[in-house]
Amino acid sequence: MAIKIGDIFPDTVLTYVPYDAKNPEACGLPQQLKTHEAFRGKKVVLFAVPGAFTPTCSEEHMPGYVRLAGDMKSKGADIVACVASNDQFVMHAWGKSYSVKDDILMLSDANGELGSALGLVNDGSARRMGPIRLARFALIIDDLKVIYVGIEPAPGVSVSGAPAVLAKL
Amino acid sequence: MTIKVGDEFPEVQLKYVPYDAAAPNACKGPQLLDTKKAFSGKKVVLIGVPGAFSPTCSVQHIPPYVAKADELKAKGVDLIVCVSGNDFFVMEAWGKQEKVTDKILMAGDANGDLGRATGLSIDLSKAGLGAVRLTRFVAIIDNGKVAHLAVEPDPTEVTVTGADKTLSAL
Repeated sequence: MAIKIGDIFPDTVLTYVPYDAKNPEACGLPQQLKTHEAFRGKKVVLFAVPGAFTPTCSEEHMPGYVRLAGDMKSKGADIVACVASNDQFVMHAWGKSYSVKDDILMLSDANGELGSALGLVNDGSARRMGPIRLARFALIIDDLKVIYVGIEPAPGVSVSGAPAVLAKL
Repeated sequence: MTIKVGDEFPEVQLKYVPYDAAAPNACKGPQLLDTKKAFSGKKVVLIGVPGAFSPTCSVQHIPPYVAKADELKAKGVDLIVCVSGNDFFVMEAWGKQEKVTDKILMAGDANGDLGRATGLSIDLSKAGLGAVRLTRFVAIIDNGKVAHLAVEPDPTEVTVTGADKTLSAL
């Protein structure tokens, strides 16, 4: 049921707080991102994490993308984005903690719409992380068509990590 | 269905990452907080906020509680807890940003148990914060009983739930 290569990426609404180069310390106004509108005609690297500020996501997954986002863009990615079920304020703050600026778009899927549409949402209640958590995965989306799917089979970061994705661009 | 003054505060499990003064940047093992056990025999100020890292919560609501934590304790408060619908990792990181150190225990109610048990949950899906969040409130809980409850009529503002108002209620 999970998304696969060849599928059209779903059209959902995510939220984010944009980076403001003039006012980097401010917490700007949240905005909506409609995935089809934003991703049409573009090559997008989208990686998903179960939780902002959690150990694996913060220490193993995100740093790879912070380091390689520029290389991904040199290899043709127009947008590098991170999505989680945390809300947009949390995602913005987490991005700031890595000084991502506008290198990585920090997106929120707080209602789990994208996760459900992709078949990649889990229930984190047993660990008190709430009923909606995205799985750990990475996708390469080319003009709305999914051309790479890396869903982590186990805890840790491998097929959804930045090096694996960079190799596929 | 909403909790009121005189009620027994419900027993729910929250989760938090304890502050460690010796390793303030570490993220040590999360722990469970059972409200009945943790609040028994104590005077507790419980602050509910809609969202960690959000503007009102970060700028207007929490900083005065950090600044006045000692005054609250001088008036008999044993424990100050801040809780939201965010998870405990987020609350811990936010607590670090707000420099709460050990003055306020930052707890997560990501499963929505506290919101449901108190009737103080609010659907903030339209604002992008998810369907089960806490509204903005402050409760003074004395040996498990609700002695004071202030619920912000507009959760985007801080009026009746501010630190000064809570101090006067003690």
